[in-house]
Amino acid sequence: MDKNLIIQIIFYGFSTVLILSALKVITARNTVYSALFLVLAFFTCSAIWILLRAEFLAIALILVYVGAVMVLFLFVVMMLNINEQPLREGFIKYLPVGILVAVVVVAEMIIVITNGFGAITEAKASGLMVTSNTKALGSVLYTDYLYQFEIAAVILLLAIIAAIVLTLHHQTGTKHQDPGKQVQVKAKDRVRLVKMDTEKVE
Amino acid sequence: MLENYLPILVFIIIGIGFGIGPMMAGFILAPRKPDKEKLSRYECGFEAFEDSRGTFNIRYSLVAILFIIFDLEIAFLFPWAVVMNQLGWYGFISMSVFLGILVVGFIYEWKKGALEWE
Amino acid sequence: MFLDLLWIVVKILLIVLPLMFSVAYLTYAERKIIGYMQVRCGPNRVGPYGLLQPIADAVKLLFKEIIIPSSSNKFLFVIAPILAIAPALAAWAVIPFGEIDVSTTVAGKTTTTQELLVLADIDASLLYILALTSIGVYGVIVAGWASNSKYAFLGSMRSAAQIVSYEIAMGFALVGVLMAASVYQIDPVTDPALVGKSAINLGVIVKSQSGGFWHWYWLPLMPLFIVYLVSGVAETNRAPFDVAEGESEIVAGFHVEYSGMAFAVFFLAEYAVIILISMLCALLFCGGWLSPFEGIPHLEEWFAWVPGLVWLIMKTMFFMFCFLWFRATFPRYRYDQIMRLGWKVFIPVTIVWIVVLAAAIAYELPPWFDQV
Repeated sequence: MDKNLIIQIIFYGFSTVLILSALKVITARNTVYSALFLVLAFFTCSAIWILLRAEFLAIALILVYVGAVMVLFLFVVMMLNINEQPLREGFIKYLPVGILVAVVVVAEMIIVITNGFGAITEAKASGLMVTSNTKALGSVLYTDYLYQFEIAAVILLLAIIAAIVLTLHHQTGTKHQDPGKQVQVKAKDRVRLVKMDTEKVE
Repeated sequence: MLENYLPILVFIIIGIGFGIGPMMAGFILAPRKPDKEKLSRYECGFEAFEDSRGTFNIRYSLVAILFIIFDLEIAFLFPWAVVMNQLGWYGFISMSVFLGILVVGFIYEWKKGALEWE
Repeated sequence: MFLDLLWIVVKILLIVLPLMFSVAYLTYAERKIIGYMQVRCGPNRVGPYGLLQPIADAVKLLFKEIIIPSSSNKFLFVIAPILAIAPALAAWAVIPFGEIDVSTTVAGKTTTTQELLVLADIDASLLYILALTSIGVYGVIVAGWASNSKYAFLGSMRSAAQIVSYEIAMGFALVGVLMAASVYQIDPVTDPALVGKSAINLGVIVKSQSGGFWHWYWLPLMPLFIVYLVSGVAETNRAPFDVAEGESEIVAGFHVEYSGMAFAVFFLAEYAVIILISMLCALLFCGGWLSPFEGIPHLEEWFAWVPGLVWLIMKTMFFMFCFLWFRATFPRYRYDQIMRLGWKVFIPVTIVWIVVLAAAIAYELPPWFDQV
């Protein structure tokens, strides 16, 4: 069989799974199922990225989204304990906002596809393939895209602070352990040796 | 490059097979004599009072959020570590700034007591 | 095409079947070694020295009823063990087991080059392994939630939070390894298999450690090595970090409701990951398949006949022994102490060592980072 044909079969297979699982994310009644279908969607998405030869990004997608973000989603979903959500509750109410968001997303996608992808040619992409994917990414990310890179650091810092401000509530009455103090304890602080006269039996 | 990923795809399928196979064998070979008590969930002897999927400490989700942030940081550090030799001082300083900003966040977590498990 | 696929399947089975055999006998070794450490005999009834014990266990589990609790979520309950074992096995796809000599004859001239003995020869193999080990947490979370039992749920939450916490320390430790390996210059003449690869490839990492056992990364990266090994123990929820199982408080943790083969699959996954982490310790920090006598006169020649795979397996077995040793030696940590160790000790240590390492590489500190 032709190699390109196999790649196409794999691509269409993964794309079908991706679309179906994405549909299940929004139609599944159980929120835990929704989250797990989203995991499946990320997986197939990563496979498609590999087909596009974006090796590092594809594996990083699994590492970050499947390995970290979805774990948080599952935690939250399980914590909320919504077992069966009524499917079409407030459907009409949120419809205008939904349509607006959908239009914006579609418009963005059209802009990106029509403008951005024209510049990428097969020859340009194959030039990158000679060297390692990770190397190619690293050689530009920290020099040419320095500004965006540092912005990312600030966003992450913001996320840390926001998460702590939103979720941290100190419980009262819990006992803390201070290992530093524990280590520095000397025997004489804790133990008192008392000299006593031996009792005499009369 | 793509042909190197084919074994991984096959391996994942076989890995799933290694999960399904023994369980199928177990379902076929093992006896199945269910009764009400056997199928009840594991408890101390009483019936459970409530559904066990209750709310739990919010701290777990804080750990998960902090984990995402640090995981992203690792994802940024990986390509840098690979090319740091070619980037020279420029790359070194850009990463120092990045790490510096995040260390500030880490110190904030520490001082706020977010890393304290109560 | 079909033959290629068949050949891939055969190669995968050549990895998985010995792995399954190792898992079986790791459980035997565990019981025997801990037995001896505690002045007991360990298993000694089934077969000579109890050697058939793992097989007897497997057969017993096979004929045990798989109980699916009535209040559980049936589908997820059955899926969870598969979610645990598939990534634990698939991570083995990129492990290089050694090098093989390949002779090519071009115009009457025979040149011998070395190729990696690896199933899937991808560049970002270290990242791939980190990604797949991070997926392993799903089996735990889904099992705990699907069981709908308090014990299982508590165990899975504890276990998941612990796994993700130690994954960060693990990732930072790997960054240090990458930095050290990035110094290595790939020679296209002697290593044509490594052309186009970067330090994120496991083969390059092992090759960059060549030059004697003092060049292996356990020495220049000592703090990261310790962090990686301990995080590996914590990732797999092994003693002394096994509060997720905590048999005296939450019975068995996330797999309390599992019985028979469903439990066995979890068990297989856990031990497959233990062996994987042991092998990664050997590959990343102890020179992989490189001979420990490299660069030592006389000894190097005497042991030159030993294949690289043997060295790799011996090193891996040492780390597997460490896993058992820790279990026999240390008392269980308390949960807040586990989280403290992961966040407040390991992460600062790794960040500091990354900075130290960056300085060492910038100043080309001999004998490890001097560029030829």
